Amino acid sequence: MGKKYLVLLLVLLLVGAVVPVSAQGKSVTVSWTQEPDNLTPMYTTMTFAGYTNGLLFATAWDYDENYNPVPVLLTEVPSPENGGISEDGTTFTFRLKEGMLWSDGDPLDSADFKFTYDMYMSDQNTPLTRAPFDQFASVEAPDPTTFIIKFDQPYAPWVGTLNYKVLPEHILRPIFEEVGTLDGAEFHRQPTVSSGPYVLAEYSPGSFMRFTANPNFVLGVPKIETLVVTFIPDDQAYVASLLAGDTDLATFFPASEVQALRDAGVDVRLIASGYNEGLFFNVSPERGHPALQDVNVRKAIAMAFDRFSISEDLNYGVLPPGSSFWEQTPYENPDLEPVPFDLEQAAALLDEAGWTDSDGDGIRDKDGVKLELRFAATTRQIRQDMQALAQQWFGEIGVGVIIQNYESNVFFNGYAEGGPVATGDYDIATWSSNPNFPDPDTVRFQCDQVPSDENPAGDNWNYFCDPELDKLFEQQRVTTDYNQRVEIFHQIDQMLYDQYVWVNTWYDADLWGVGPKLQNVRLNGITPFFDVVNWDVSE
Amino acid sequence: MAQYIIRRLLQAIPLLFLISVILFVLMQSSGDPLATLGGREPPRAEDRIRLKRQWGLDQPVLVQYVYWLVGNDWVVTDPATGETGTRKGVLRGDFGNSFVTRQPALKVIADRLPNTLILMLTAEVVIIIMSLTIGVVSAVKQYSLLDTVLTAFSFITYSVPVFLMALILMYIFAVNFRKWGLPYFPISGMFDPAKGRTFQEVAWHLVLPVLTIALISIAGYSRYIRSTMLEVINSDYIRTARAKGLSERRTLFVHAFKNASLPIVTLIGLDLPFLLAGAVVTETIYAWPGMGQLFINHLTRSDFPVLMGILMMISVAVVVFQLLTDLAYTWLDPRIRYT
Repeated sequence: MGKKYLVLLLVLLLVGAVVPVSAQGKSVTVSWTQEPDNLTPMYTTMTFAGYTNGLLFATAWDYDENYNPVPVLLTEVPSPENGGISEDGTTFTFRLKEGMLWSDGDPLDSADFKFTYDMYMSDQNTPLTRAPFDQFASVEAPDPTTFIIKFDQPYAPWVGTLNYKVLPEHILRPIFEEVGTLDGAEFHRQPTVSSGPYVLAEYSPGSFMRFTANPNFVLGVPKIETLVVTFIPDDQAYVASLLAGDTDLATFFPASEVQALRDAGVDVRLIASGYNEGLFFNVSPERGHPALQDVNVRKAIAMAFDRFSISEDLNYGVLPPGSSFWEQTPYENPDLEPVPFDLEQAAALLDEAGWTDSDGDGIRDKDGVKLELRFAATTRQIRQDMQALAQQWFGEIGVGVIIQNYESNVFFNGYAEGGPVATGDYDIATWSSNPNFPDPDTVRFQCDQVPSDENPAGDNWNYFCDPELDKLFEQQRVTTDYNQRVEIFHQIDQMLYDQYVWVNTWYDADLWGVGPKLQNVRLNGITPFFDVVNWDVSE
Repeated sequence: MAQYIIRRLLQAIPLLFLISVILFVLMQSSGDPLATLGGREPPRAEDRIRLKRQWGLDQPVLVQYVYWLVGNDWVVTDPATGETGTRKGVLRGDFGNSFVTRQPALKVIADRLPNTLILMLTAEVVIIIMSLTIGVVSAVKQYSLLDTVLTAFSFITYSVPVFLMALILMYIFAVNFRKWGLPYFPISGMFDPAKGRTFQEVAWHLVLPVLTIALISIAGYSRYIRSTMLEVINSDYIRTARAKGLSERRTLFVHAFKNASLPIVTLIGLDLPFLLAGAVVTETIYAWPGMGQLFINHLTRSDFPVLMGILMMISVAVVVFQLLTDLAYTWLDPRIRYT
């Protein structure tokens, strides 16, 4: 039997060797580590799904590699000068290009924009988020090329939010009317039309999606006829596939593999995604450690945390330490530097704050309370390594660390579900977070977002409240002037930095690998396919 | 016999009911489906609250279980509009919609089940053939060099962790064979999208994953077969058969092997239902779109409808295969009778 098995193997080897490679036009393979959970934008917040459905759903405008808005379905990006934004900043008028078509030849017009709004807001549908639609006061589609969105007050974050992906009314309205909801529609798995650069030709769940160029795409027909997206969940296999040339574009591979990939001719790029890994301090007087009420204690902890060696040793020197919640974006305050590593100064700050080792057990205390901090993180390896290192560094200045790890679905649970961070059951926590990227706004540090039994939905898991900071956040929210808004954010950034409630550990850019075959690739961290029509392959 | 089968099936009903209750309750503590929703950041609080209401997760566990079991199309779920629910419940074949893909849970499972069966049944056949060969040969040639070598080989492969085995095979036969200009096996997937899902393509992509699963599993069965074969070969009736002049082949394969296979059938019967669950590690490394990967993906999202679907499917399979195993005994050993 063993012999027969060997023979079978050999036969298979030979068969495989003679199978011809089909060559139908230009083709590239993009690989993700996760399969998109859903292709309809309304039903997913997954990063890879967002990248992928960018191939199928066009937006009013997109971003270039520097995150400047560039028009797609509109003739130009709205501004006060072209009348697209009203003087009071409450009304946005979209002027659509004439004669746009869905891939099936049906017209794409303002009715689709309005339909999309209606679908998000209908209680019969369960979209994962209703942002930004639930902030609109009203929408209007007075003619096929005009679409108007009105707000009750000036709406500053429009660049990053109003360019939503538009759904095809002619396909989805009949389904909605017949079934009463879009929730279970087959369209989410097998979209039959596209307004983006590609059309879905074949989907093999768990394996791949094959896309072909959309002849009706408003920015032109892509040079690459076939784009295949494959799913390779294992990191090693993922990298092997990029090394072997099976994959031409990949992202989210481990930093440890960057050198090997560069050696193999893969162009590895750091692309800003808005994310930064940082330390969150719990400053709740009731839930957090009393020592963290003192900003100098927080500063001491931040200084005892060696973000430089973390970058070098845990991130292979690929991801640098940062200083801002808005690292590598225009909103980052350029005067800020990463918090230095200085154990001596950290110890001095703790002495000054009255935390000394009075009982000689190696851990500082004050008024009978030991300076032992609960350090919470998910189970991701690099975070566990950071916790272990922190235990060592903090130990050197007499600060005890109690390590807490949770599966990420538990870690990120909200207050009502008893999530450990949301309920303040921690003193320091680390995770990678972002503002409403590419918009700089965030509710993370706002007083009215402090969670409680009365406000279980609060997102301020630091339990931090500073009325001055709140004022600045409110002010930027109604500032539609770009430069003024940037200036406000520089102030906010400085205040956050001085308060040590959130401290940047590293600039958590996305790593993208572009294989040697792919040419002319420009990328951004939100919509990597924004310029896919101009991509090419070398023969 | 028919009465026996019916009795066993009826007995399974309360058992499956109990299993479903326990699993459903356990699911509640396995995480919150609204915690991440697959995004990099937790969802907005107002969306979390809305979805909790829309998905019925704000109901008590008992109510959620009842809706899961018998549906909620007989109760008013929205007092404001007087609308009733839309779910039919498991007893009417509706496992609910996946929180992740929004497709019916059974459809999500049905997409993956055939892929897993292709992988796991092929692997199981290879495992059985290889372990039978090794087990019988090393029993018949006890303490020979061949016995030692085969035993050593099966134990070495048995001791290697599955992820390492998969990576070693991938490194040799996919990465290095390619480097050396030899015909190489694919790294991932079930078939090449450019070539389509042909028999040839799938067979080609099957080789490494099947080999991985087979290599780490043959030791288990082959040791059983070796020991039961040894026991039977040395029994009186085999000596009698030989004394009566039966050929060695007939003695071994008709008289010895059939009786020796009883414990193996038990083992296989116990293992078969779990083939449906797929091979989590192997499927993940080779990107094989099967049930193992599906289960892990949906577990990290706490997608109860799909998870319950998979677990209940396996529970039913365990019950059914247990029954089939018991029935197989009557064929293998005429002394066993069920009434």
